[in-house]
Amino acid sequence: MINSARQRVLDLEKLAEESQFLEKPTSVWRNALRRLLRRKIAIAGLIIIGFWLLVAIFAPLIATHDPNRGLLGQPGITRRDPPCIYALGCSTEKPQHILGLDGNARDEFSRIVYGTRISLTIGLTTVTVAVLVGAALGAMAGYWGGWVDNVIMRIADVVLGFPALLLAIAIVAVLGPGLRNALLAIAIVTIPQYARVMRASVLQIKELDFVAASRALGASSWRILFGRVVPNALTPLVVLGTLGIASAILEAAGLGFLGVGAQPPSPEWGTMLSEERNQLFSAPHLVFFPGLAIMLVVLGFNLLGDGLRDALDPRLND
Amino acid sequence: MTRMRWLALLAVLALVVAACGTTAETTTTEAAEETTTTEAEETTTTEAAAGFEGLAVAAPDCEYGGKISSIEATGPLEVTFTLCSPAPAFPQIVAFTPFGIQPAEHLEATGGSPLDNPIGTGPFVLEAWNRGSDIVYQANADYWGTPPAFQTLVFRWATESAARLLELQSGNADYVTNLATADIASVEGDANLALLPNLNPNVFYLGMSTNSPPFDQLEVRQAIAMGINRQQIVDNFYPPGSEVATHFTPCSIENACNGDDWYEFDAEAASQMLADAGAEGFDVTIYYRDVFRVYLPEPGAVANEIAQQLSDNLGINATVQVVESGEFIDVSGDGTYGMYLLGWGADYPHVSNFTDYHFGEATTQFGAVYPDIFENLVEAGSLGDPAAAAPLYEAANNAIKANVPMVPIAHGASADAALATLEGAVSPVFGAPQFELMNPGKDTLVFVQNAEPISMFCADETDGESLSACQQVVEPLLGYDLEGGLKPKLATECTPNDDATVWVCTLREGVTFHDGSDLDANDVVASWALGIDASNPLHVGNTGAFEYYGYLWNSLMNVEG
Amino acid sequence: MVSFISRRLLFTIPVLLGIVVVVFLLVRSIPGDPCTAMLGERATQAACDAFNAANGLNEPIPVQLGIFLGNLVQFDLGESIRFSRPVSQMLIERMPMTIELSAAAFIIALLVGVPLGILAAMRHNTKTDVATMAVANVGVSMPVFWLGLMLAYLFALLLKDTPFSLPPSGRLSAGVSPIPFYEVWGRSVDPASAWAPVYEFLSNFYIFNCLITGQWEILLDAIKHLILPALALATIPLSIIARITRSSLLEVLGSDYVRTARSKGARERRVVSRHALRNALLPVVTIGGLQMGGLLGGAVLTESVFSLAGVGRALVEAIFSRDYPVIQGFTVIVAAGYVLVNLAVDLSYAYLDPRIRLE
Repeated sequence: MINSARQRVLDLEKLAEESQFLEKPTSVWRNALRRLLRRKIAIAGLIIIGFWLLVAIFAPLIATHDPNRGLLGQPGITRRDPPCIYALGCSTEKPQHILGLDGNARDEFSRIVYGTRISLTIGLTTVTVAVLVGAALGAMAGYWGGWVDNVIMRIADVVLGFPALLLAIAIVAVLGPGLRNALLAIAIVTIPQYARVMRASVLQIKELDFVAASRALGASSWRILFGRVVPNALTPLVVLGTLGIASAILEAAGLGFLGVGAQPPSPEWGTMLSEERNQLFSAPHLVFFPGLAIMLVVLGFNLLGDGLRDALDPRLND
Repeated sequence: MTRMRWLALLAVLALVVAACGTTAETTTTEAAEETTTTEAEETTTTEAAAGFEGLAVAAPDCEYGGKISSIEATGPLEVTFTLCSPAPAFPQIVAFTPFGIQPAEHLEATGGSPLDNPIGTGPFVLEAWNRGSDIVYQANADYWGTPPAFQTLVFRWATESAARLLELQSGNADYVTNLATADIASVEGDANLALLPNLNPNVFYLGMSTNSPPFDQLEVRQAIAMGINRQQIVDNFYPPGSEVATHFTPCSIENACNGDDWYEFDAEAASQMLADAGAEGFDVTIYYRDVFRVYLPEPGAVANEIAQQLSDNLGINATVQVVESGEFIDVSGDGTYGMYLLGWGADYPHVSNFTDYHFGEATTQFGAVYPDIFENLVEAGSLGDPAAAAPLYEAANNAIKANVPMVPIAHGASADAALATLEGAVSPVFGAPQFELMNPGKDTLVFVQNAEPISMFCADETDGESLSACQQVVEPLLGYDLEGGLKPKLATECTPNDDATVWVCTLREGVTFHDGSDLDANDVVASWALGIDASNPLHVGNTGAFEYYGYLWNSLMNVEG
Repeated sequence: MVSFISRRLLFTIPVLLGIVVVVFLLVRSIPGDPCTAMLGERATQAACDAFNAANGLNEPIPVQLGIFLGNLVQFDLGESIRFSRPVSQMLIERMPMTIELSAAAFIIALLVGVPLGILAAMRHNTKTDVATMAVANVGVSMPVFWLGLMLAYLFALLLKDTPFSLPPSGRLSAGVSPIPFYEVWGRSVDPASAWAPVYEFLSNFYIFNCLITGQWEILLDAIKHLILPALALATIPLSIIARITRSSLLEVLGSDYVRTARSKGARERRVVSRHALRNALLPVVTIGGLQMGGLLGGAVLTESVFSLAGVGRALVEAIFSRDYPVIQGFTVIVAAGYVLVNLAVDLSYAYLDPRIRLE
């Protein structure tokens, strides 16, 4: 989770260096899409992500109960009841809760369903913020070079010098626990990855003919940077970003597990799991299902990211 | 390339090694300096060869705010405590582990900081503290009481209740502490295990501060006192044996339950009161810290439950907010939070330990203070005779009920567990398990608690894990029996004068420390002086705060500034 | 080459300094002061003032930073506020545990990951390939703490009375403690000598210590305790190594010289083992090094799940108890190790890949 990020950076820096398909961005993407759809792994990833997106959008329709409402005092309700599914032989005298009840006698299934919204939000917002900031910094460093490059990259080195999760914990400790601060911490920790990849891409592209041509024609730096260089450097960023969503969700869950991420009663999966970890042996369903949900969402983005990388990497296309 | 990675690793290693090497040297020189200062001290203090010359420690006067005026060795085996004001709870406090006795010479030799090498008189001798993994003790064959029936005692720790229970179930441990509520049932259902209920007196309450409207209105506080279904909380979130609080202090303590019982749950009447007070449907945040305590085993779940009850029963829109423990204690103590979850576990079995801390004149945690409560408490505290104090505690309790600075919710029960084969396994009301009374039927007894001790010099520690490790080695003058009553330890008795301002403790004869030296009154004075006297050169400890000396005796002596 | 290395080494100095300063400032800006965290909830203001003075916490922040840097240059990491013990001593006790765990995880990751990757590459685009890569993807997607808890549930509870039962927490069984190698060999170590900490540090590698002194039972016990956490920690690097091995081998298999070898009629297995594998494994080794660096920091969650007294858990506990010197000292050492490992990896990259110019 931690060093996979750095490895990816190196990987994609290399990819950026070796890219041979930069003249016409649109056709690259069209080809890539075609190749992507030929890959079973990528399709599987898309299906999984699509599934979770649907769950998130239609959460109120799918959930059987109010995710934040404890049912204590109602008949047949015991805290941390294991799953009860009528179709699987659970006595119909008990109320049906297909993933059981949690420590406040809330319906675990409904909480996991609503938790999808939180996890997808975590993944998308942190990565969006980190990509925007990281790409801007990386583009500046790569395009202007010199002291700008030096300052930005040394700061990036300092940040990358920490194991990511530890730095995130420290940042959250400073900002105070909570989902928003956890998101911010994860974004800060991952910015340098995007900056480095962007910089590597820009360094390659700015030597290419069409950029040199624009420059010779007297286009301004900003215009060249954002009109020509940036769009072409996006390819590795898209791959890294997709995989970044996966690790952001994992890291947020890790922070939640350590008690500094999303705070109860929020149905964030890592937090839910952390609240009930003490009950592992007496109520394993409350640890098992949130963890499984995390894994399945993360898997979706990892598969898609892998597929994207393969599809966009000319070396791997036979 | 591999060579290069090795180089890098070696560099890290070298860094660590170099770092360690230098610090080791500096600590030795520091230690040497400390020894010289204590030697100088020894010549001024007096332990002459001929006859007994008693040590003494005394405050210049009683103006410093503390309870202790002087502690004197008035005979080889007699120590006299002179107090600034009556202290009816003196024996109960003295029996607390931080007031354990170590040899005067050892305290000097360690510069007042025997953090990992305590020498006591207890049933077990510390053999090794393997940091991060365990503490090993051997039975003290020369123990003044009955020596333990087994040879080796091992302390281990695991933060998670589930992990502790598993150690027990898998036969790796004989005794584990603090089961989670959910694990209690599985222990009860297991014939190989014995459930050991713990009856340490405690209270969990919902605090309200008048600094934060609308809690400045008495009617609002009363409505909340009536509008919470405390029975439902205790039934669902507390282990069996827990009780709904009828009074702030649990009834197992003398004089605690004088006066009327708490309000009955009545949601309708409560809503009506809120409506009459014009405070319907306000927003409130319930603050809490996510720390396991026996009085609040599941903070998050209970916070959610109370929030939901406030909304269902009273139409109050409540949200919950967890706060880092240290910050929570700071801020709630100032009375800044309008509503918060906190509790109290007894330090010693006396009603004043509960009431005086929470409802004294200096208390700020509930905003306003209530003279009709604290005036009764002050008067009761000056009386040595419990029967004479009884009506005063009744008046104080009724005033607490009338003013509702907080809502007492539960007295939590907790439970330890042991192998069914562990003879004599009991979880005592106060302090750590008394392993010298148990017999595992084999050489080794393994105990698993929540965490590793911070140090083993408990004069300067406050956490239960350190105290339980110390208790096996070091003994105070008195001790608690399994039911929470007092029993003689190093003192055969401590007797008060008429108004409980002078206490004379007579030491047991023929007690030897683990280093072979004999216990005498000067060891007692030296141990106490180190803790209570801030100007003592050996007042070093771990943090140097000697929290329990300052807190239980109101103040340390000779504090600068 | 030499000038390249020395320049890279020089570059790491400002990075390390930056890390130190960032850690220092970050630590001071954590809300909540060490006093209430250390002295407990019943601490008085007077006690806190005395405590802050005793620990130098009443000085202005820049002065504190200056003192810290000055001591650091002399390799003095200070003393824990919470335990009144030298931070370096705590590192001696806790580093070996974490290094042992990381090394075990790393070995598992290599021994399983590389063969899986080779298998997938040789059966490219077959069901085996897809299945292997799907498993690898699942591996990267699992939260470490969840996997750890599930492993503990499975091996410690469900398989309790079977030969597969494994302990869910701790480093050794209760009451078991290995005899340090220097004591076994009858060498007396003067605790005041500069080498004593080194001996102690080395003997805290239980597996190493028991292996060289033949304490087989304790060795077995230590290994049993290590298996579950190491498995949990190994999953992610294992999956990554499998994927890298596969893609790197595929790349090499598509290259000209391999095609030449094939066209000469060499059998596929021989092509792979003789010609392709060595080249394909170079990046794997490099990536492996990176993983090793990351494991050290990533052990936080694993150590928390399995109640292991390692560096990661000590660090998290120190953050929660505001033990400034421990947070600073541990982070600086971990980060320094991390930076140096990364440096070594970068250098090896440069060394291995002639396309990178050593200007």
